[in-house]
Amino acid sequence: MQRLFSRPEFGPLVLLIVELVVFQSINSQFLSVLNISNTLAFSVELGLVALGMTLLMTSGEFDLSVGSVFGLSPVIMWSLFNSGALPLEAAFVAGLLIAALIGFVNGWFVIRLKIPSFLVTLGMLLIARGTALFITDGFPQRTWDASGQWLAEVLVGDFYVGPFRIYMSLFWFILAAVILGYVLTQTKFGNWVQASGGNPGAAQARGVNVGRTKIILFVLSAVLSAFAGIISSIRTSAANPNSGTGYELEVIAMVVIGGTALTGGRGTIIGTVIGIFILRIMRNGIVMVGVPGLAYNIFIGAIILGMMALHSGLERRHQSGN
Amino acid sequence: MLSKLRLLIYGMVLAMVLPLAAQAKTFYWISHGSPADPVWTYFLQGAEMWAKSTGQTVKTSFHNGDVPAQQEALRAAIAAKADGIVTTSPDPGSLVDIVKEAKQAGIPLINFNTPDPSAHFQAYVGTDLVVVGKGWAQYLVDHNFVKKGDFVWMPVEVPGASYGVEETKGIKEVFDPLGITYEVTETTLDQAEIITRMSDYLNANKAKIKAIIGLGDLATGSIKRVFDQVGVKAGEIPVVGWGNSLDTTSEVTEGYVNAAQWQDPQATSYLALTLAMMATDGVPPAFNITTGALYEKDTADVYAKVMSAK
Repeated sequence: MQRLFSRPEFGPLVLLIVELVVFQSINSQFLSVLNISNTLAFSVELGLVALGMTLLMTSGEFDLSVGSVFGLSPVIMWSLFNSGALPLEAAFVAGLLIAALIGFVNGWFVIRLKIPSFLVTLGMLLIARGTALFITDGFPQRTWDASGQWLAEVLVGDFYVGPFRIYMSLFWFILAAVILGYVLTQTKFGNWVQASGGNPGAAQARGVNVGRTKIILFVLSAVLSAFAGIISSIRTSAANPNSGTGYELEVIAMVVIGGTALTGGRGTIIGTVIGIFILRIMRNGIVMVGVPGLAYNIFIGAIILGMMALHSGLERRHQSGN
Repeated sequence: MLSKLRLLIYGMVLAMVLPLAAQAKTFYWISHGSPADPVWTYFLQGAEMWAKSTGQTVKTSFHNGDVPAQQEALRAAIAAKADGIVTTSPDPGSLVDIVKEAKQAGIPLINFNTPDPSAHFQAYVGTDLVVVGKGWAQYLVDHNFVKKGDFVWMPVEVPGASYGVEETKGIKEVFDPLGITYEVTETTLDQAEIITRMSDYLNANKAKIKAIIGLGDLATGSIKRVFDQVGVKAGEIPVVGWGNSLDTTSEVTEGYVNAAQWQDPQATSYLALTLAMMATDGVPPAFNITTGALYEKDTADVYAKVMSAK
């Protein structure tokens, strides 16, 4: 039990449980099968982006371009497919490759030109968003031709377990969380990631290739964003050039609430998974308990502040050993 | 010999081009909308079609609801001695001074899409949003979809934006005297977030919602996906709203949306620019042009074809 209390994920877990209990006690439909099923559909798409961001933030960097890559890659994929230029599978690979290139350019600017990642990825955010708008003329790309395509079924097909509707994206999210959790905590690369964020100078002196590690993480962050965007475009039947607007801040909030240090050096995939559900369940719960429609943002803001205060209190208590 | 021939060709090309250049006028099409909003792409398309058909130059810009940026663009067009300007109103009263400045400079300034009578534009082309809202509410009442004591849900992308506010005014005129209650909720402009928020709200309030009015195009165009996610069948809850997207025309055809409002986006831009050109030729427009129509299943295909003709 003492081990559980001392884990960094303990605070966020308490917050999540409190949230579940409060919302369920106000509306008994909150934990209904339909509501859980609906909540999981979008949470895991944002969650994939948050997983990549966790590793990047652990290494001490940010990526503000994740939201626009989330929008751009599906636009590229569907533009290539709808125009008949490429089959869906090849267009999917092209979408991911463009994202990888964006991640690489981000990393190269940060490492080689020593520009803060905040500024580099802010610039890339505008380039990616502008590119999506330019190549589509602002028109959303049709994605419903995907029905019957095996790739679409594998990425985001849905099936029922009893009354429970499950999207394939949930399995992709679980797979990514397990792999990245293992990489971060059990592998040499995970040590490099944490060392790069904790004390890059010392890490470099001990033979860690900090630059290469960070570039790999920028590529990973962009590719996961693209993957999530493609999944989302198939599920929502729309590849809009403005998809993903503002996701970067929500994703960073998820990662920080989960216990990853904003300054780098310490990260937790389990904490991020909890953080994802804390924020998404909060948005769902606010609606379920019936706050007035136009007061929605007041409640969201107030709850985030309250949760951060509680989180900070739990964190202080955790660090003092009580 | 060769250089003389080249000179002759240049001379001929210049002779052909110069009269055309002298004839072509420059118009500015300035919008408060977003280039990422599918409806605005149709408005833009109308402006581009007009430029192509008439051979005039049209310079277009979007300002994403940023009032100072739009004011700056309008003043830049006046400073550039534009032959004519067509613009939307980002906020009531925000363009009063600019309309005066354009008049002083002798430049015709036509208002389209969002009216602002306080600014005294030369003419307005577009829908009357209060009338549109009233039409939706009246449709639900006339078809016995709602009665006294019923509740109507009205999702909108950006609460407080002028379009939703004006439409709600019209809806209020019909619903308030009849004792029909309603609530406006925010969907945002992001497709995945729209579906999530609308699904959450519908799931929580399904029992009390007797009808839905989509105050914006993205909200109305998401109804099918929201109904499918929450397990509501087509036609189970009556829906009216905007119909300027292919998503909505197919929803109307499939019975998810009962009636949708067509705004004539391409025609609106086309007519606004035509009025501006007419004014530059010395025929000032002293009238407004109202566009738009409420369509049902039987005519949805007409609008789908217009939107598909990219």
